[in-house]
Amino acid sequence: MPTEPVSPPPQKPFLIEKKRTRFLGLTLDETIRAFFGGNAFTAVVVLALITIFLFREGSAFFGQNRESITLYRQAGLEYVDYMRTQQEEHTALTRYLFDIRLRAVKHMTEAPLGGAQKEKDAASKELWELEHNALASGPAVDPEKLASAKARVAAAEAASAKILADANAKLAAFDDFAGRYSDTIEPVRGLVSELTDVAVAIKEKYTINEDAKRERAQYLAAGMTAEADAVKITEVDFKAELAPLVGITPIYVETANGVAAAIKEVASTPPTLPVPALEERMKRFQALNAQYLASFPETQRKLETWDYQKPVPAIDTFTGFIFGKQWLTASFWQDWYGVVPLFVGSLMVSVIALFLAVPLGVGAAIYINQFASAKEQKLVKPAIEFISAIPSVVLGFFGIAVLGQALRALSQVEALSWIPGFPFSERLNALTAGCLLALIAVPTIFTLAEDALNNVPRSFKEASFALGASRMQTILRIIVPASLSGIVSAVLLGLGRVIGETMVVLLCAGNRIAIPDFTEGFAAFVQPVHTMTGIIAQEMGEVERGGIHYRALFMVGLVLFFIALLINFLAQKIVRKYRVSIG
Amino acid sequence: METSSASSTPASRAFQVPSRATDGQKAQTLIEIENFDFYYGAKQALFDINLKLDDKRVTAFIGPSGCGKSTLLRCLNRMNDLIDGTSIKRGGIKIRGVDVNARDVDSIELRKRVGMVFQKSNPFPKSIYENVIYGLRIQGETNKAKLDAVVEKSLRGAALWDEVKDRLHESGLGLSGGQQQRLCIARTIAVSPEIILMDEPCSALDPIATAKVEELIHELKKEFTIIIVTHSMQQAARCSDKTAFFYMGKLIEYADTRTIFMNPGNPQTEAYVSGRFG
Repeated sequence: MPTEPVSPPPQKPFLIEKKRTRFLGLTLDETIRAFFGGNAFTAVVVLALITIFLFREGSAFFGQNRESITLYRQAGLEYVDYMRTQQEEHTALTRYLFDIRLRAVKHMTEAPLGGAQKEKDAASKELWELEHNALASGPAVDPEKLASAKARVAAAEAASAKILADANAKLAAFDDFAGRYSDTIEPVRGLVSELTDVAVAIKEKYTINEDAKRERAQYLAAGMTAEADAVKITEVDFKAELAPLVGITPIYVETANGVAAAIKEVASTPPTLPVPALEERMKRFQALNAQYLASFPETQRKLETWDYQKPVPAIDTFTGFIFGKQWLTASFWQDWYGVVPLFVGSLMVSVIALFLAVPLGVGAAIYINQFASAKEQKLVKPAIEFISAIPSVVLGFFGIAVLGQALRALSQVEALSWIPGFPFSERLNALTAGCLLALIAVPTIFTLAEDALNNVPRSFKEASFALGASRMQTILRIIVPASLSGIVSAVLLGLGRVIGETMVVLLCAGNRIAIPDFTEGFAAFVQPVHTMTGIIAQEMGEVERGGIHYRALFMVGLVLFFIALLINFLAQKIVRKYRVSIG
Repeated sequence: METSSASSTPASRAFQVPSRATDGQKAQTLIEIENFDFYYGAKQALFDINLKLDDKRVTAFIGPSGCGKSTLLRCLNRMNDLIDGTSIKRGGIKIRGVDVNARDVDSIELRKRVGMVFQKSNPFPKSIYENVIYGLRIQGETNKAKLDAVVEKSLRGAALWDEVKDRLHESGLGLSGGQQQRLCIARTIAVSPEIILMDEPCSALDPIATAKVEELIHELKKEFTIIIVTHSMQQAARCSDKTAFFYMGKLIEYADTRTIFMNPGNPQTEAYVSGRFG
């Protein structure tokens, strides 16, 4: 039977249009999605803006620094500084001599003076007891005894005075030598002081002139031509102004030669020290002195070839910042913006902080993760994590009021005097700040290290136990190595936390802008320092916006920014590199 | 009648149980488990287990998940000590007559004698060489020549030497799954234990790697007593001399593997080995 063709049923549209409420052409879902997306990208935009701002404000530093250095040269400050350096080196040598003397006196008198002091103390005590008895029990005290006690005290005092006098007498020859040596530089000192005034005057003139130019430009911009014309501008003719300065070169050379001759003469008759133990130092002095004398021709050459027009290479403005050893602002002479002292300060407090925080944080993490009972975990974990909740300004306050005081008191304990740097007198120093920063770093290091330990697969631990390893062997040979990348990155992030911390270092580091004296070894760690974060916080409020100082602070901020970037990058890289091997 | 009934059981259709060289030889008892009750906290996991395991033989523990076979295995080298709240309420385990849970038995020494291979291969994130000698390192062995010898002997013992001899100092994690498991076996035999416990050693391996490990078990039997927990009945049939069937924490049946699979004495065993439950 042939089938009849069947007409297909009418097709219904499959997609069903639904009216949706729309807002700005978006459905509700799309609006919410846009909101979330916007939030996510705000972070990126803000980061970009901050970076751009930092770079923009910081990069202008180089131009201004170049101007500053150029003026330093043109106004003759550089020229005078050559001479000044020579003078200061001499002063340093003189100080070295005084240091030798101080040691000599100490060496000669320490033991006998101690004896005399003991005798005096004993006598004083006896005298005090006698007088006390006299007050308590009336005039029954033997007056003869009283008199003899008084005599003993007086004798002891006289003895110690004599010891000192003897020591000084023995050093008379040395004093004479030191005095004569110190005087040799006087002619140069006079010259430098004269020329300083000249150079400062030129600089002053130039600055005033620049201000006048700016004033006129402002008038012109405001359309006030008459006032603009009234502003007097006299271009500084550096060549003419510098003439008296440069003209002095031959005189200076002559003077310097005189000084050199005088020094040679004085140094040729060195005194014999009454303390043989210090002969080494005296030899060292002679060597330093010879070195100093050898630098004379070099200075001469510098002065003679000095040219105020010699352009300042652009790279100098950069190296002057990165490797500059001086951060000197608002000085009458010349401002220097060298980041090294601040960088070294930041580095030192960070090193101290990590030195304390790494064993504390990692050790605590291993204990809590591997040994602690549930009860201990419940107690310790929140406690450590709570430390990070303490505002750093409170920690800083604690550092000033308690820790600094306590550390200083500790340093003055006789039994601890073998520790380098002890005793110290500065309450606020790198050590105090470092200890507090350690407290800040511990929660970061602890939490991340604990996580890393936790991520070690349980099967490693079981395998190790099944091979007959003890708990300690398992921890040291399997668990810690397997989580080492996590621990290292925890330490790095702790370092990032520490290097960016501001309040604590501002309050507790002592804020002295100078590279600590590393010749004393570890004693450098108890000297006051200033840090990169601290200087920004301290000076940013006071500087003129757009000025060179302001820009310099931004440059410091940029350095910090790069350090933080580097640390985070390394931490992530380490984690990523080793995560594969565990998983 | 006897032969026909053997061939008519469902199990016999599923498995060929090969005869072995050790068949018929009398084995010595090495491990004795007596009236053993074991608890996780308040929950009892093992009920009155009585079992005698033979020396230099392979014993398989089979049973459905959660039946206690792994728990019993881990009791043999006291790995359960690492889990909080476990306790033995009654009975004990004796190896060569020594109660392993006695107070004067050091669990660390015990584990040197009773090694273990785990379900998931777990080489340390170290080189192949370091993985093998880990057990000796922690015992303080530093003699390079001796360590080298042990590495070669153990890797040969685990049938891995030819595959890795040129890259001993590469990471053990770079090996394939089957190689990793054999590395774990090499690591275990490097400390020369008497007993090797294997907790589902092939469950994460493909059939070829499984075949290699099973071959290895035959070889290892000459030197070691092996106790293997497995979910694969074929594997139990192929590898073991004796089989113990556990169900709900109780030992249901323990006999020669041939008997268990061809002629089980207990209906539950028969149901399990023939695949009707479990």
